[in-house]
Amino acid sequence: MIELRRIEKTYRRGAEDVRALRGIDLTIDKKELIAITGPSGAGKTTLLHILGCLDQPTNGEIFIDGVEVTNLPEAELVKLRRDKIGFVFQQFYLIPGLSVFDNIALPLLFSKKPANPDRIAKLADMVGLKHRLDHVPSQLSGGEMQRTAIARGLVNAPEILLADEPTGNLDSENSEMIFEILRSLSNEGLTVAMITHNPDLAIRAKRAVHIKDGLVHSER
Amino acid sequence: MSGYLKLAVKNLLRHSTRSALTMLGIAASVGVLFSVLSFNRGFNEGLAQELERTGLHFMVVPSGCAHEVASLVLHGAVIPKFLDISVMQNLEETSGIAMATPILVAQVPNPGKERIDLIYGLDMQAISSIKPNWQIEGNIPKEENEILLGHEIAEHEGLKPGDVFMETSDGTQLIVAGIVGLTGSQDDAFVYLPIGTAQLLLDQPDAATAIGVKVKDPERMSEITDTLTAAVPGIQIVTMSQVMNSISNLAASARALSLAIVLIAVLISAVGVMNSILMSVFERSQEIGMMRAVGASRRDIFRIILEETTILSLAGGLFGIFIATLASKLIEAFVRAVMPFVPSGSLISFDPLLAIGSIFFIMAIGLCVGLYPACKASKINPVEAIKG
Ligand SMILES: Nc1ncnc2c1ncn2[C@@H]1O[C@H](COP(=O)(O)OP(=O)(O)OP(=O)(O)O)[C@@H](O)[C@H]1O
Ligand SMILES: [Mg+2]
Repeated sequence: MIELRRIEKTYRRGAEDVRALRGIDLTIDKKELIAITGPSGAGKTTLLHILGCLDQPTNGEIFIDGVEVTNLPEAELVKLRRDKIGFVFQQFYLIPGLSVFDNIALPLLFSKKPANPDRIAKLADMVGLKHRLDHVPSQLSGGEMQRTAIARGLVNAPEILLADEPTGNLDSENSEMIFEILRSLSNEGLTVAMITHNPDLAIRAKRAVHIKDGLVHSER
Repeated sequence: MSGYLKLAVKNLLRHSTRSALTMLGIAASVGVLFSVLSFNRGFNEGLAQELERTGLHFMVVPSGCAHEVASLVLHGAVIPKFLDISVMQNLEETSGIAMATPILVAQVPNPGKERIDLIYGLDMQAISSIKPNWQIEGNIPKEENEILLGHEIAEHEGLKPGDVFMETSDGTQLIVAGIVGLTGSQDDAFVYLPIGTAQLLLDQPDAATAIGVKVKDPERMSEITDTLTAAVPGIQIVTMSQVMNSISNLAASARALSLAIVLIAVLISAVGVMNSILMSVFERSQEIGMMRAVGASRRDIFRIILEETTILSLAGGLFGIFIATLASKLIEAFVRAVMPFVPSGSLISFDPLLAIGSIFFIMAIGLCVGLYPACKASKINPVEAIKG
């Protein structure tokens, strides 16, 4: 469970302050599929990065599983990201020379865990890439790349998967496939927060949070 | 392969041309470094060996020109001054001298062939003392009209043992008794005559450019040289250790200079590595941001980048040593062409310790230049990098 209390984030751009987040209260329960929507520049990505302990808020408090993580030292935040959080990005960010297998296993390198081939194969199977394990990213379609990235986000068995416009670079058919994967993951007990500009997908999420001007504008 | 290593290798292979060129830069500088260092060793070893095999203890020469004497001793050089015959007599009267053998080196016009021959007059019986490592095809001359030819001149003239080399003005035929095997030095260009014949040819009876001396008791050498210098005016005594010193000093300064140049080359190639790695860090900042997001610590990123520089320097170092070993013959030929004196035998000996040392050196340098890009990479802010 993640709880955000009065989260503010202010960026300095030259002489002016940019208030990306202006006091967000948000609680994300376990096993939820949350769609985060809102216009461009509303602060969605900023919010997601703070949720993922990648960025620190200027003001406010964050609790993960009841433990306050605001202002933790960097080493602790790394550990949190490693153990509890998975990230998926719009641009996939796969490593070109590495096979699908090695890309999925990459986070294990940082958590100093061995890459169990059966487990990696199972993750690949879950995202429909069982027969692509030896392929390199350049041999994959966009949808396959994003599915590889999802498997990579899951390899450390996180409690929450954070996806920033995961379907933003995909056609509707592939978007559908990605969404279904995320939905079945949340059905199996994973918390998933997904930023999307696609209203069709947002409607089908259990919960949708609409952000505007750095505030929670409406919620469903 | 460890995960980090694999990642580093794959990253280098992504820009294989760039990595290969950077690696070649290192290979070239390490190769030259290794060659200079091995050459240095081989040179000193060869020099010491060659001087040891020469049975002579010191040379008596006309005063002046010590460096020319140094090269004369082992591989002829022309000295325009002659020693007086009285010196020889003086030497014979000095006690403690086991052997004194005159040497006459000169340029003589050869009217029949319209060129100048380099002649080297010596006592043929002393040949094994003065030129200990010669391989002679044929015989050592026994008669006054028999001569030896350097390899080069024999080949040029197409002469074999038994052939007539030339006819002197008084009608004597000089017969080739033997041909000196290829030495790769100035020796190859000389005509070797019995000293008496050389003196006749030059019309300088009893002249010598130098006298090689062997003493009975090497411990008493300084005593003997002191007595000689005091007794005979206009001479200079050059001992073999002085010769050795002056040659190795010459070699040492040449080596210091080349080493300085090589070290600069190593630094330049190291900067090349830094540049190449830095470029790839900047190009990959999004990827590095992603790795931070999926759990990489700053240290993890630091390590990946440092591993890349280490691999580049290791590969470059190994390749450089490989190339240098292959090219050692070429380098040797070059050195022989530019250095005034070079001992015969192989100059460059492959020394595994030196090879390992060179590789460690370049890896240490690689590590140093890798620190900066690695530090830069570890400081990349993941939030900004991912935003693109
Ligand atoms: N590093 C930064 N420095 C200054 N301003 C920033 C920085 N990062 C974000 N901002 C600003 O903060 C605001 C929120 O940005 P954010 O990226 O969170 O928006 P978003 O809702 O994800 O938009 P989009 O839908 O276009 O991705 C924007 O006005 C943006 O310009
Ligand atoms: Mg965004």
